[in-house]
Amino acid sequence: MIDKSILLDNKKFTVGIFDNSDKLLHAVKTLKEKGVKIFDCYTPFPVHHLDQALGYHRTNLTVGAFLCGMLGCLSGFTLAFYMNVVDWPMIIGGKPQDISVFTSFIPVMFELTILFTAFGMVIMFFARTRLIHGIKEDLLSRRQTDDHMVLAIDNNEEQAISNEDIVALLTKEGAIEVNASKEAFNTSLTSEEDLAKILNPASTKSKKK
Amino acid sequence: MYTADIRQPLVTGGKTYSDVTQDVCRPIENKPTPSWWLGFSIAVVLFLLLAGTLAWTVWEGIGTWNVNKSVMWGWDITNFVFWVGIGHAGTLISAILLLFRQKWRMAINRSAEAMTIFAVFCAAIFPLFHMGRVWLGYWPLPLPNAFGSLWVNFNSPLLWDVFAISTYLSVSLVFWYLGLIPDIATVRDRATSKARKFWYGFFAMGWNGSAKSWGRYEVVALILAGISTPLVLSVHTIVSMDFATSVIPGWHTTIFPPYFVAGAIFSGFGMVLTLLLIARHVMNYQDYITTEHLEAMTKVILLTGSIVGLAYITEFVIAAYSGYEYEQYAFANRMFGPYAWAYWTMMFCNLMAPQVFWSKWARTTPWFIFIISIIVNIGMWFERFVIIVTSLHRDFLPSSWVMYHATWVEVGIFLGTFGLFFTCFFLFAKFLPVINMAEVKTIIKDKE
Repeated sequence: MIDKSILLDNKKFTVGIFDNSDKLLHAVKTLKEKGVKIFDCYTPFPVHHLDQALGYHRTNLTVGAFLCGMLGCLSGFTLAFYMNVVDWPMIIGGKPQDISVFTSFIPVMFELTILFTAFGMVIMFFARTRLIHGIKEDLLSRRQTDDHMVLAIDNNEEQAISNEDIVALLTKEGAIEVNASKEAFNTSLTSEEDLAKILNPASTKSKKK
Repeated sequence: MYTADIRQPLVTGGKTYSDVTQDVCRPIENKPTPSWWLGFSIAVVLFLLLAGTLAWTVWEGIGTWNVNKSVMWGWDITNFVFWVGIGHAGTLISAILLLFRQKWRMAINRSAEAMTIFAVFCAAIFPLFHMGRVWLGYWPLPLPNAFGSLWVNFNSPLLWDVFAISTYLSVSLVFWYLGLIPDIATVRDRATSKARKFWYGFFAMGWNGSAKSWGRYEVVALILAGISTPLVLSVHTIVSMDFATSVIPGWHTTIFPPYFVAGAIFSGFGMVLTLLLIARHVMNYQDYITTEHLEAMTKVILLTGSIVGLAYITEFVIAAYSGYEYEQYAFANRMFGPYAWAYWTMMFCNLMAPQVFWSKWARTTPWFIFIISIIVNIGMWFERFVIIVTSLHRDFLPSSWVMYHATWVEVGIFLGTFGLFFTCFFLFAKFLPVINMAEVKTIIKDKE
C-alpha cells in the first residue's frame, strides 16, 4: 500500500482523533475484530504494538541493509587490494604488498561496511516511506504531530459494518473528535488563510463528544 | 505497563504531550533571549579568531606553529584527539544506551548527537591544516590521479583514520537527521511564518507520523544504533593506532585502543555535562534533564574515569616491567621531567577528581558536577598533550631533544575551535528542537 497517495487521490476518510495512545490501540483492536479495514493511524510518537494491531509486517529493510553492508565490505577489499596489490604495489617500511597484508585492509573494509549499511538503509527507508525533500505532507489533523492520534478509515473501501456504526464505535472507544468525511491537507505549503478555509468546513461537520 | 516504584519518573512536573511540544518549541518559535545573544556573540568572536589564525597559518605557512622535527605533533594533534574524543559521548548515548534500553538517554540524546557532529567538525580542522597545504587536503582520499597511479597506503593507520573519521561524521549526521525528522514535522505543523513553514516543511520531508512509517523508522533507528556501536569503538581504536603502531616509547603499547575508547567516553561525558548543565539552566529544562539524568551521567564518568586511571597505572607498570630502558625513561620523564606539571594535572583531573562521584551528594548537585565536568575536560586535554608531547620531545637521540611551547597561533586555533563548536551549538539550540520530543512523549509516564 502506498502511504502518500491520499492527497493525490482526494480521498475521503472517516477519522477518529484520540488523545490517549492506549485508547487508540484499544479502538484499533476493536475495529479490527469487527472486520473494519483501517487505512492507517497517525501518531506524534511511536505507539508500541500499534503496528501489530494494525496487522503490519515487520519491515524487510534489514535485509536490504545487510546486502548494502556486504557491498560495502566488498568495496573496501576491492579498493585496497586493487590499489595496493594489483595496480601499483609500493614497498613501504619493508612490508610486503600482497594478500598477506590482508589484515591491514580490515579497518577500511569495516568502515565502508558501516558507511554503506547506514546510507543504503536510510535511503531505502526514505524511498519506501516516501520521505522526499519538498513533498507535500498529508495531514488529517494539524495536531497529529503534536498530541493527537488519528485513526483513519478509507471511505471508498468496502467495510463489514456501516459507516454510522464505525462512527458510533469510534465515539464509544473514546475518540475526542470523529469526522465521517475528511480530506487530507498540508500545512507547510498552504498559506494560513487557505489553511483556515480547509480546516474550518471540516470542523463544522465534526461531531464533538 | 510495569513501573518500578523505587525509580524516579524520567520526566518530572506532570507534563502532558502538548506541554512537551510547547516547552521544546519555545526557543524555536520565540525571539532569542539576551543570554542566547551574549553566548552566541562570544562564540562568533572566537570563531572569527579561528578564521583569522587559520588564514594566517595558510598565508605564512606551518612555521607559525612551534612544531618541529622532534615534536612534529603538538597542540594540533592533541586538539584533534581531544575533539574526536568529545564526540564519542553523543554516539554512546544515542546508540549504545539505545541497545541497552536505557530510557533516560531520550531527553539528552539529541543535544549529545549534535555535540558529536560539531566536535568532529572541530577535530577535522587539525589534521587538515597540519598537512600544511590545505588545498591539497583531498590527497589522502583514494582518488585516481596523475602521479603514476600513486595510490594511498592502506597499511597506514593514518589512512584508516581518514576512513574512520569521515564515516563517523557522515553516519552520525544521518543518525541525527533521522531522529530530527518527526520533530521537524512537529515544528512545521505549528509554524506560522512562511519561511518557517517552507524550511521545516522541506526538511521534514513530508513526515506525517503514520503507523507504517513509525514501524520502519524504529527498525532503522535500531539497526543504525547497532552499527554505530562498533563504529564508535572503531573510531577511537583507529585514532589510538595512529600512535600505537609506531615504535616511539610511550606510544608503542597494545593497551591504547581500550584505553583511548574509555578516555573518549570519559571526556565526552564531561563535555555533555558541561553543555547540558548550562542548557538546562538557561532553557529551563529541569523537568526533562532531571537530577536522575545527571546522576546517571556522573556514574558513567566515574566508571570510565576509573578505567582511564587504571590504564595510566597499567601503562606505567608495564613500562617498568618491560626491561626496555627507552620505555622506562619515557615514563620516568613524564612523571619527573620538564612536563611533569602536565602529567600530574592529568593524574589529578582524570584519576582523582572523578572519584568524588562515589558520594550521592556530588552526583546530584548541579554546580558541583559542573566544576568536575570542567576539570574532566581539562584533564583529558592534558592526557593527549602528555601522550604526544612528552613522548616526542626526548627521543632516542639526545642531540634532538627539545622543549615545545605553543605559539599564539596554535593557542588561537584551539580557542577558535571552541568558537566554531559553540557557534554551531547555539544555532542548533535556536533552530532545532534540543530535546527529542517524539521519544520523550513515549516516556513521560514511565519510571525506569
